[in-house]
Amino acid sequence: MKHILLFFIPLLFILPLQGQIVEDFIDDESDLYAATKQVNQFFRRFNGEEDTKGVRYYPGDRMFRNAGLRKAYLENLFNNENPFITPALKDSFIGHITDPRQPVYIEFHGGNWFAEVTTTFSFQGAERYLTLFLQLEKDTIGSKWVITNVFFEPFAKVFADQDSLRNTGQKFLHPMSHELDFMNLVRAFDKKESLEHYVAWKYHPDYLTLFIYEYKRGNLVFKTVSRVKFHFFQVDGWYFEISEFNRRGYNTGWLISNLMKISPEEKDILMKYIYHE
Amino acid sequence: MKIKILFILALTILLSNSISAQDILSKQRKAAIDSLALEKVRDLSKYISIIGSKKTPFSEANRVIERTLELFVEDAQMGVSSLYREEIKYYPVRKYLERLMALNYDKITIKWYDIQYISDLELQPDGRYVGVITIYQRFEGTTDDGMVYKDTTKKDITVYVEKKQTQISGRLIDFWDVLLGDIRVAETQR
Repeated sequence: MKHILLFFIPLLFILPLQGQIVEDFIDDESDLYAATKQVNQFFRRFNGEEDTKGVRYYPGDRMFRNAGLRKAYLENLFNNENPFITPALKDSFIGHITDPRQPVYIEFHGGNWFAEVTTTFSFQGAERYLTLFLQLEKDTIGSKWVITNVFFEPFAKVFADQDSLRNTGQKFLHPMSHELDFMNLVRAFDKKESLEHYVAWKYHPDYLTLFIYEYKRGNLVFKTVSRVKFHFFQVDGWYFEISEFNRRGYNTGWLISNLMKISPEEKDILMKYIYHE
Repeated sequence: MKIKILFILALTILLSNSISAQDILSKQRKAAIDSLALEKVRDLSKYISIIGSKKTPFSEANRVIERTLELFVEDAQMGVSSLYREEIKYYPVRKYLERLMALNYDKITIKWYDIQYISDLELQPDGRYVGVITIYQRFEGTTDDGMVYKDTTKKDITVYVEKKQTQISGRLIDFWDVLLGDIRVAETQR
């Protein structure tokens, strides 16, 4: 028991001993060991699938998914500078996923997680941020990341919110318009800003299609990638987001930047919020 | 160098005999492929240090650039960002190396931290496996008037692993080839 406890002394205390000599270069690398250097490492640490030097544990290895190891890693997998991730919330989450009766693990190919990538495109002569949402998709063999959704403010501005439009008064094609060969369509196309009066209720614009169209027309030109984060809905009743923190110290790399306890209804609302719907 | 190439070929062939029976990578096979990939990354590290060194004659640096490019798949790019510009700036590998060679410092020191992190290998739709190796590098450049520029960068290096065949004494033998792909270079706060 004593040696198990010693093994689980948090990373922070173990790692400063691991200063390394590289050729003629001596440096303390403890912060680099502590950093969650890849999303891959986030998965492994979250699940307790690697040792403190990053060497992978496999099913059958004695320490694979060891509960104590997981708890030690999980303590350092949160952005400690986010005051909204309170100690109570964090403890509740860690308690839930390390529950000995039903531990919860995250899986790379388990679905219910996706990337939000902030990119820059040139559009109508100016550089604009454009958000791409990507998910892993299985192919005939292997898998790949695919773009599933797009948010681009200039697109969003084009579309009027139907609820707001209704409040300004109703406009419609009356139910006998067919008898007039829909000659009254002329009114639907009278004003650009009121076209949504005449389309199906709760119509949702498909920004991905628009994005492909504008890109192929040469109106959108890719410039660069600025930021990446990931949204996880793999743990029932919880949502968390991970982002990369490039700063000094031991609480760095890919960390949980947002954590919420959510009901199924709140999950839908949150998804819409993330997708800007 | 020849001995090293022979060693790598022998290792890959040994490895491939067992791999060909089963395409899912076991712990032992993954470990063997990791060591091949790390070998390439170490070669890359060594070549970058040679190219960046002011002591390396121009013709030799150019020769090493060609050797370095042999480590990479075609069209590999370096995506570079700094603490003050989070957007990624893209360079083809050759251009990146040529820029490194042309840096206007009197003395350049490029050192590599001992730590490296190797991801799992994932199968991609073209049948190749892909992984990422993360390493850290410290750069120090001194101008002739004594000004020193220092940075530490994190390099996430794409590694492609592909099963190939070669004929030895009339027998077709499978082996695993490892090539490097895009590299994400991010300046760290360190």
